[in-house]
Amino acid sequence: MKIKQRYSLIIILLVTVGFLLSGNQNAAAQEDEDKLYIYGQVQDAQFQSIQNVEVSLYLVGSEKSLTTTLTQADGRYALPINLPIQGDLEIHYQRSHFKNVVIPLPDNTLEILKFGNSVTQPLIVLEREITLAFWVAAAMFITVLILIASGFLHNTLAAFAGASLLLGISYLGVPLTPNLYIFSFAQAITYIDWNVIFLIMGMMMVIAVVENTGIFHWLAYHAYRISRGKMWILLPVLMLITGISSAFLDNVTTMLLMTPITVQIALTLNISPLVLLIPEVFASNVIGVSTLIGTPTNILIGSFGNISFNDFLINLTPGVLLAFVGLIIYSWFTYRQELEGEKSVSPVLLKKLEERGKITNPEHLAKAGWIGAGMLMLFIFGEKIHLLPSVTALIGSAALLIWIRPNIDEMIGAVDWTTLVFFMSLFIVVGSIQEVGLISMIATQIGNLIGNNLLLAMIVVTWFSALLSMIIANIPFTAAMLPVIGYLTLIVPGADSKVLYYCLSIGAALGGNGSLIGASANMITAGIAERAGYKISYRYFLKKGLPALFITVAISLIWLLFRF
Amino acid sequence: MSGILCAIRGGPSSQPTIAASIQLAKETKEIIYYLYVVNLDFLTHTSSSKTNHIAKEIEEMGEFILLDAQEQAKSEGVNAEWIIREGKVVDEIITCCEEIEPMYVILGRPQEDQEDNLLTLERLQAFAERIEEVCQAQVIYTPE
Repeated sequence: MKIKQRYSLIIILLVTVGFLLSGNQNAAAQEDEDKLYIYGQVQDAQFQSIQNVEVSLYLVGSEKSLTTTLTQADGRYALPINLPIQGDLEIHYQRSHFKNVVIPLPDNTLEILKFGNSVTQPLIVLEREITLAFWVAAAMFITVLILIASGFLHNTLAAFAGASLLLGISYLGVPLTPNLYIFSFAQAITYIDWNVIFLIMGMMMVIAVVENTGIFHWLAYHAYRISRGKMWILLPVLMLITGISSAFLDNVTTMLLMTPITVQIALTLNISPLVLLIPEVFASNVIGVSTLIGTPTNILIGSFGNISFNDFLINLTPGVLLAFVGLIIYSWFTYRQELEGEKSVSPVLLKKLEERGKITNPEHLAKAGWIGAGMLMLFIFGEKIHLLPSVTALIGSAALLIWIRPNIDEMIGAVDWTTLVFFMSLFIVVGSIQEVGLISMIATQIGNLIGNNLLLAMIVVTWFSALLSMIIANIPFTAAMLPVIGYLTLIVPGADSKVLYYCLSIGAALGGNGSLIGASANMITAGIAERAGYKISYRYFLKKGLPALFITVAISLIWLLFRF
Repeated sequence: MSGILCAIRGGPSSQPTIAASIQLAKETKEIIYYLYVVNLDFLTHTSSSKTNHIAKEIEEMGEFILLDAQEQAKSEGVNAEWIIREGKVVDEIITCCEEIEPMYVILGRPQEDQEDNLLTLERLQAFAERIEEVCQAQVIYTPE
């Protein structure tokens, strides 16, 4: 009996709680139903949604707002209204770096709200306002570019100092003048593209395993064997190995590994290593652009423009391969004298080359091969299930680490954190010039220059990017250009195929061949070659690189014109 | 005190230094110690995480440069050994001098128009004085 009473009590309690909860929900639902809203959307002159616009309802003549809300990432807002309200109303739109807008509401708005519960406002376009913060952010961006290009500060330190100063000025400068406000910490963080950061991080771990297996030594030695010392065969084979490696690893890593090995082959053949190294680094810069993961600039472009691994393969790879053929012919021609004739091979060095041309860790290589193949499948087919490349890279790297169980400290140490901090800081620096409207201004000017002409847009974007990438670091340049390309993609008829992103990809990456400072891989190659007593001067690189730039960019652009 | 310490970095500019070391070895019947220093200063602007791996690769490249020099010496009937170190070139030459206590140290003298040499003429002279102070070796310059 007691047990029966106890169960009854529990049931009563449960029912009571359920009733109370249900009652509360009903009350909440009732409250929601009673709420009235004014809906709308805010954009800038480039049709980009503006987040964090303060939307406030005022009685005309009053200085105190009745209600306030903020726009979301898509620029939309829902302004809650609490009745009763009497008098004429107006909505104020306020955001830093934009001119304030006041829109009076029609007299019948309150009546409509009472009957219909909501009112939708027309699209609001905010105009940019140039403040002191605009000049501060612009000056900081240019300073960071100069510091990186001149090598006065380490890339990461330059970008990190720039990002920190921008935030410092935003917070510490406001008490002096509100016009110094650039962005808040929370806003600055939103400019970091985490897809890019995690993709690079994941790939770094995979590369760290692969580079310790001896695969590069094995490939280089077999390149020598296949060519049987014939230079006109050895050169394109080494270019191909470098190029294919660069399509899946980053160019700097590829050249860090290939350059010392190439010097060893050249010394064995008693030739100048520059005959092989210069075409190799060209090939690295050219073929690296053929995949989404081949270059940091492609990773940036893919993430911003929502361009998949397959999109790059279909739209860019054939053109890049054509450019590679052009590059081989150019390399044969430019080094024709050095490539001629039989080379006197040093038996001692050849023996050493053979000793080193072995896979040092076949087990890790096999496992990395399986995981790499799986990752490739996910990069290709993951698009159908909206799998982000960064997630694929993380899954792949985690699977590889679990499978081979390396020293985890060594693996974490293999991640180039300085590069990741560089990217995060750079995103904030570039975000600052987006925030203050510099990018919008550039986009508008380029848009006015190009008009509605897609052909002109393709030519301008490609060559402008290529020539500028010769003198400034292509990663910050690409990061800054992406919103501009986004705008042009919206306004130029036919550009919705995203062709301008591919033009930027080609220009930014292949432009690196034009000068020694055009790409990090060039500098690394020159650094190692100099350690072997072979200096690559700026003039020498320019002499060899400029024709290579024009040939490869022209061929790739012709392909894009044909494709789109 | 015995031997000839000859620091080389490879390439055409090291050939006069190698030739001078071979000539001196023939005259003095001393063994040559070719020294190559792995210097990774050029990595300061990128890829700091790869320093260990790249040091190994450049060390292997240095071995080829040294083997090549050793072969040249052997072909002239001169006995030669080689040493690889990692660090700053100047410091490593001094350390080697202390360890080997060579009779001669051969250094490449920069041409007047050669801006890329690690040591300018003034610095080279100061460096030679330091070597003589450390191990009493005779320093010989060869044009690079």
